[in-house]
Amino acid sequence: MSDTAAIVGGANTRWGKRAATWKDLVQEAGKATFEDVDGIDKSEVEGLFVGAVQPERFANQSHVAPLSAELLGVNVTDMIARTELACASGQAALRYAWLAIAAGQLDVALVVGVEKMNLGDEYMNEMQSTMTNVVDREFDGVNGLNGPSFFTLLAQRHMHEYGTTEEQLAKVAAKNKSHAANTDFAQFQQSCTVDDVLDSYPIAPPLRLFDCSGITDGASGLLLVSEEKAAELDGPATYVAGSGQSCMASNSVNNLPSFTGWPQATQASQTAYEQAGIDDPVEELDVAEIHDCFSISEIIEYEDLGWVEKGQGGAFIEEGRSELDGDIAVNPRGGLLGCGHPLGATGVSQAVEVHKQFHGEVESARQVPDDPSTGLIHNLSGSGSVHSVMILERDLA
Amino acid sequence: MTDHTPDRRTVSVPERVDFPRLLDFYDLQDEEQTRIHEFYANLRDGQLTTTQCGDCDAVHFPPRVVCPECHGDDLSYVDLPHRGDLFAFTEVRGAAPIGMDDDVPFVVAVVDLGPVRLSARIEDAGYDDLAIGDEVELVVVELDDATDQDRVFYRFVPAGASAD
Repeated sequence: MSDTAAIVGGANTRWGKRAATWKDLVQEAGKATFEDVDGIDKSEVEGLFVGAVQPERFANQSHVAPLSAELLGVNVTDMIARTELACASGQAALRYAWLAIAAGQLDVALVVGVEKMNLGDEYMNEMQSTMTNVVDREFDGVNGLNGPSFFTLLAQRHMHEYGTTEEQLAKVAAKNKSHAANTDFAQFQQSCTVDDVLDSYPIAPPLRLFDCSGITDGASGLLLVSEEKAAELDGPATYVAGSGQSCMASNSVNNLPSFTGWPQATQASQTAYEQAGIDDPVEELDVAEIHDCFSISEIIEYEDLGWVEKGQGGAFIEEGRSELDGDIAVNPRGGLLGCGHPLGATGVSQAVEVHKQFHGEVESARQVPDDPSTGLIHNLSGSGSVHSVMILERDLA
Repeated sequence: MTDHTPDRRTVSVPERVDFPRLLDFYDLQDEEQTRIHEFYANLRDGQLTTTQCGDCDAVHFPPRVVCPECHGDDLSYVDLPHRGDLFAFTEVRGAAPIGMDDDVPFVVAVVDLGPVRLSARIEDAGYDDLAIGDEVELVVVELDDATDQDRVFYRFVPAGASAD
């Protein structure tokens, strides 16, 4: 029996404002994912996991995992599910695929993450309503809290309590958006300076437009297999070495453990580090794709993933420690700030990136130097309620 | 190619589709619809309240029907202070959810009432008028809506600013 699962390939559709439907995106991602792997036919897929957040609202469609099976001509023999965990739905899908394979229930699983979010500029209010439903609608959503208006409260508190500056926030956004200039599927492919960020409109102050990720259509896919199957295929493989997840009975404003941090991220990462045998993440991680839905998120994650002391996240970006050639190359594909954030696809795409970084399959301008072989992916949801962390290794331990 | 030319017909689709009332974001508040109707009834009477557990004394917000701490269901309504401090705030200046578009820009905040912290709209002030720690006080807003219920909700204003 396989102790873990191997990612043997993956792909992203073009992300952005797409002239394409939800169903079109699934088909594009599925085709590209199978084309990325030599030696697996769709007839071998036993399990299908689809990360999708609100197809009911964006596309008036539910029951989307069977629909995806049909679209891709996959006869699922053993296990099929959609995962919905708001913005963390993608890694949840990947995690179930890994667990099912590691438990010996499957040899081959397909993971698809997808979101169709752009309904046309004249329907932006509908899109914003959809995001508002992610928090407790009756008591928080009703007040207009959604993505920017909620995360900016964390930015304000972090600045208030730790002296984090608008320039440090802008530096995160400029780094990630500039990485995305080297990512051919990204929504935002223009290089971006700190001044560009600071000159952008404060849509929910203190956060500015460029501190926020996009409203994005896109899909991503991954193929996972057992260790035995990976050995048979003998192609590029990436192994899941650890996986943690945490939610602390908190979703609404009164019940959040903190407005400056995410103890859930700490708990999830400690579980994942322990499983992967990582003692010193800053020393041992070569690359990380972490959930920068807003610039403040990445700064908090530096801290709560255990890379720096609480309150020192601003210094971590200031000192260049998260640059491609820094201590940990953070968000080389451009993160959510640069690639955009098709909710269900983000967590899947993070894993695609780490796999491709390990095997030298990304555009050379964003290749992390020195042969990366240990990586982390981090996906959070909603008001920061759930954090999922996975450690990926190029080589089987 | 077939030489058949299909008949053409017209099907009418309504120009406007009325969405269910859920999309106005405020829940229905009467006892036919919700078991926390007392919260809304108290607010209608001018008192902000929440539930407290009779078994473990935990004070909840939002109000509950089962205590999340001990799963007791002997809950009673207790008064919350009507004044509190601004813990964090912002101003929505971009696109807002359906039904709130006409309100932009508006301030949304986390208000620390002591026993609980809640999110709330702040009226009579803009982002630049406010600072963390400012004292705010309750106003009850009556919803002018399409339902036959007298729905209400809570908002806050800078302390001393409301018309008594």
